[in-house]
Amino acid sequence: MTTTSEQSPAAARPATAAAATLSLNKTYGSGDTRVHALRDVDVSFEQGRFTAIMGPSGSGKSTLMHCLAGLDTADSGQVWIGGTDITGLKDKQLTRLRRERVGFVFQAFNLVPTLTAEQNILLPVALAGGTADRDWFRQVTSALGLADRLRHRPHELSGGQQQRVAVARALLTRPDVVFGDEPTGNLDSKAGAEVLSLLRRSAVEMGQSIIMVTHDPVAASYADRVVLMNDGELVGELDHPDADSVLGALAKLGA
Amino acid sequence: MLQVALAQVRMHARRFVAVGLAVVMAVGFLTATLMVNASTEASLANSIGAGFRNADLVVTAGEDGELDGAMAAAVAKADGVAEVYAQRHSRVAFGSGTQAGFGLMQDLAPRSLDSLTVVSGRLPAGNGEVAVDDTTAAKYGLAAGTSLKLAAGSGTVAARDLKDAAGATVTGVVKASKDPLLMGQPQLHALPVLAARLAGDSGYYPSIQARVADGTSVTEAKAAVESALDGAGSVVVRTADEQTKAVVAMFTGGQDQLTIILLAFALIALLVCALVVSNTFSVLVAQRTRELALLRCIGAGRNQIRRSVIVEALLVGTAASILGVLGAIGLMAGIIAVLQRQPDTEFAVLAVPGHAVAAGLLAGVVMTVLAALSPARAATAVAPLAALRPVDDARLGNRRGKVRLAAGLVLTVAGGAILALGATTANLLIALPGGALSFVGLLMCASLFVPPLVRGVGQLARPLGVPGRLAAVNAVRNPGRTSATAAALLIGVTLVTMMMTGAQTARQVFDTQLGAEYPVDITVTDRALDGRPLDQAAARTAARHEGVTAAGLVTVAGSTEIDGSQTPVYRLGPGQAQLLQDKSLVLDAGTVLVPQGSGVKTLAVAGAEGSKTLTAVETGSRFFPPLVSAAVAEELGGPAPEQADAGAGPQLWLAVDRELGAAELMQLRTDLAAELNVNDYQLSGAAIERAAFNQIIDVMLLVVTGLLAVAVLIALVGVANTLSLSVLERTRESSLLRALGLTTGQLRGMLALEAVLVAGVAALIGTVLGVLYGWLGARSALGVFGDVAPSLPWLQLAAVLAVAVVAGLLASVLPARRAARLSPVEGLATT
Repeated sequence: MTTTSEQSPAAARPATAAAATLSLNKTYGSGDTRVHALRDVDVSFEQGRFTAIMGPSGSGKSTLMHCLAGLDTADSGQVWIGGTDITGLKDKQLTRLRRERVGFVFQAFNLVPTLTAEQNILLPVALAGGTADRDWFRQVTSALGLADRLRHRPHELSGGQQQRVAVARALLTRPDVVFGDEPTGNLDSKAGAEVLSLLRRSAVEMGQSIIMVTHDPVAASYADRVVLMNDGELVGELDHPDADSVLGALAKLGA
Repeated sequence: MLQVALAQVRMHARRFVAVGLAVVMAVGFLTATLMVNASTEASLANSIGAGFRNADLVVTAGEDGELDGAMAAAVAKADGVAEVYAQRHSRVAFGSGTQAGFGLMQDLAPRSLDSLTVVSGRLPAGNGEVAVDDTTAAKYGLAAGTSLKLAAGSGTVAARDLKDAAGATVTGVVKASKDPLLMGQPQLHALPVLAARLAGDSGYYPSIQARVADGTSVTEAKAAVESALDGAGSVVVRTADEQTKAVVAMFTGGQDQLTIILLAFALIALLVCALVVSNTFSVLVAQRTRELALLRCIGAGRNQIRRSVIVEALLVGTAASILGVLGAIGLMAGIIAVLQRQPDTEFAVLAVPGHAVAAGLLAGVVMTVLAALSPARAATAVAPLAALRPVDDARLGNRRGKVRLAAGLVLTVAGGAILALGATTANLLIALPGGALSFVGLLMCASLFVPPLVRGVGQLARPLGVPGRLAAVNAVRNPGRTSATAAALLIGVTLVTMMMTGAQTARQVFDTQLGAEYPVDITVTDRALDGRPLDQAAARTAARHEGVTAAGLVTVAGSTEIDGSQTPVYRLGPGQAQLLQDKSLVLDAGTVLVPQGSGVKTLAVAGAEGSKTLTAVETGSRFFPPLVSAAVAEELGGPAPEQADAGAGPQLWLAVDRELGAAELMQLRTDLAAELNVNDYQLSGAAIERAAFNQIIDVMLLVVTGLLAVAVLIALVGVANTLSLSVLERTRESSLLRALGLTTGQLRGMLALEAVLVAGVAALIGTVLGVLYGWLGARSALGVFGDVAPSLPWLQLAAVLAVAVVAGLLASVLPARRAARLSPVEGLATT
């Protein structure tokens, strides 16, 4: 049931994957301080699945996510989102791609403090100059338990509520993929569990593709699949993980 | 803690650039103002002192005394005096060929006291020789060898009047004196004998200069001269230096007032600068909350925190003040260098007085430190625990300053009441302090009305989508900061628009006033230069001139006696009533129009064929000549022959195009004078007065606006500064928005909109206040002349708003570029 392997065996083809990379490389600095953040990373994330990227600090997992989401550019290699090759896209095209086809949930500072919860949720749609699907909006917000919190500003919401607003915002545009960067890192365990369950449900019930970076084995256990990274390389993966198996795999990395 | 302050300034030098720039400008303005005064004095001393440059002692007349030749002789006999120059001035007429003029004849000094600079030829050596100054030589075409006719006197002179006068030969051309007392008039120099022959006893001695013999001290000689003149009359004996200083002091009496006015503008600039500095430090302290809390955690006391902020202000203030003083010196040196190249001002000298440098440095440093006091106090309020709390990014609202608000409201209401009183009683001395008080009050409670207005105007940006909506929200995110930023700009804009409205209203009042004061737009009086009276041909010439809508010759019909003096009575011909400014005046066979204030019911008008008593109709103008209709004039049969000889000739009355501007009217006057062969001053009337007055107002307005521009510029630096600090503060938010799909263009647009909102609303409020103050001020100052209706210079006000909006856009360029350069990942990584 749980397999660990050197290479991703079930890599979907880039054209059909939610997101994928081909020999992605990125380095920071030069000379002695040169750091290989990514080394020839080939990875593919299937549609409708919840995938976690795990690894110790400095393993390159955040860099991989930033490159996948079009927030950062790699030195070489290719990146696809929903079948679109985003390598070499100009800033303007990347920006449009982000607001139309990608959703984000960050660890902290997810919301614009001057806007209400509702305005925050609608922000990507508003930025694109479009109008939101009101039925879908109601469905998402009530599923996330935010229906009575929409008029509040971020500082009037608890940490868990703030993260749920961020999840609602990410889901609203029905993006090709939702990226989570330690989405529960700043939450207590109860609020964290709530947000993770919500993410899992959106993958299962709504078929939303989700890619989450985390270093918390418990958080990773909510995913369908865990991709392990170390020193900028993919070093293995787990299907249908639980907290123990993830912990075990991580311990091996440390060894 | 000094270490921390130093590290702050070094690390965040860029954050201090804008505040430094503001201080540099304010200090530079102040220092330059003080240097203008000193340089003017030095330049004057240079030009005045040139006349005494070889003298040791100068004797001048006392309060009500006069110098004479006997005194000069007494000085010459005094012990220790080697040589004496009795500087005699006499007025002479001179003619050359067909030209003639008046000039000042000066006795030549003995060689050792001579201060003239010969340009060409040589100084006179014989009694039939004169030297002239270079300006006069150029104007009259004189050179060495030219023959001149010379006669004593003043008044009018024509070349033919001098044909029997004594002749003299020009032997040389000398440099014209730049002494303000002599400048501008022809200067002739001759040996005392010739001067005495021409002037007789009419000569006047402005001074007696003396050279002290070698081996005698100036002090001894001065005492000797004083005793020699003892009892001779009221005289003052000074050394050459003392004399120069005394004359300069006489001239700079008015200069001091100019300095005071300039200083007032420099103070306004300093005040605006203090607002900008205070605001900047508040923002810097707010941004460093965590850092300050950390310092408190590891044991820094409140006083140490306060001191570290003040030391920062001290460092920035000192550096910027030094730059400001250097900048002012550079600017003045540049201006003086330009002036020195102009022929009329080549005597200009740069003076860098110690007090100007000291005052500039002191004012800059003290102002910066004072402005940082309140932010420094705010810094001490940071609790050590703040270091441990997560960053509170949503800083909304600020609660401090209830006392300030209350005081501001009281000042506004009280000042407003005093201003209203001054306006209704037409008393500027009451209105001025009232206006100042209410304005200070309004600035103190700016946070009451600025944020709501920015929010309200921000609604207009909503159709621009998310960037517009965010800009509107961000502009009032920190109401205190927005208010302070806007207040700094508000000051300059209010003062500028106040001046504009005041000027426009004054123009309007004087227009109305002048309309009533003069019978017609332009009156041409007296004879032409060739001695012939004005005639119908002249009227036709004038009527054809562009800008003249109608012209008529008004002839003498007879004479009458008003206030005991014989006054010519004029005839208003058929169709000439349209020339009158006051169209309501009616003239029939039984009436005569008389000047305002004549106080007569009937008036007896005498002509060649008898006299007639007419009903007097008083006009609104004191310069209105008595006027009768053509029918009455016919009955009178023209002026009596003796009156015709007395010289009262016909006048030419003109109506001109109302749309003509001041400069065009002045040009029209010159052109018409040339065409009609009359002197410029023979043309007078409402239009001319209006043009002259408008020109004065325009120049004053230009100068005042220029001076206030410094304050406005400083405030705009403040807008840019606040925005760029806010951008730094919102780095994470900007990154989030970029990640969520805000394009760099939208980000730039958002920041530009934010700056435009703050600058635009400040300009809007300033304009409204300025119009109000301008009108009330005009009422206070001009109310005595009658009703003062507000008159708005719409174009100028619109220009002020447009400048504010464009300046806001420009102010956002640098901060926006920095914000857009940041990649989303970089911004999010900052924790």
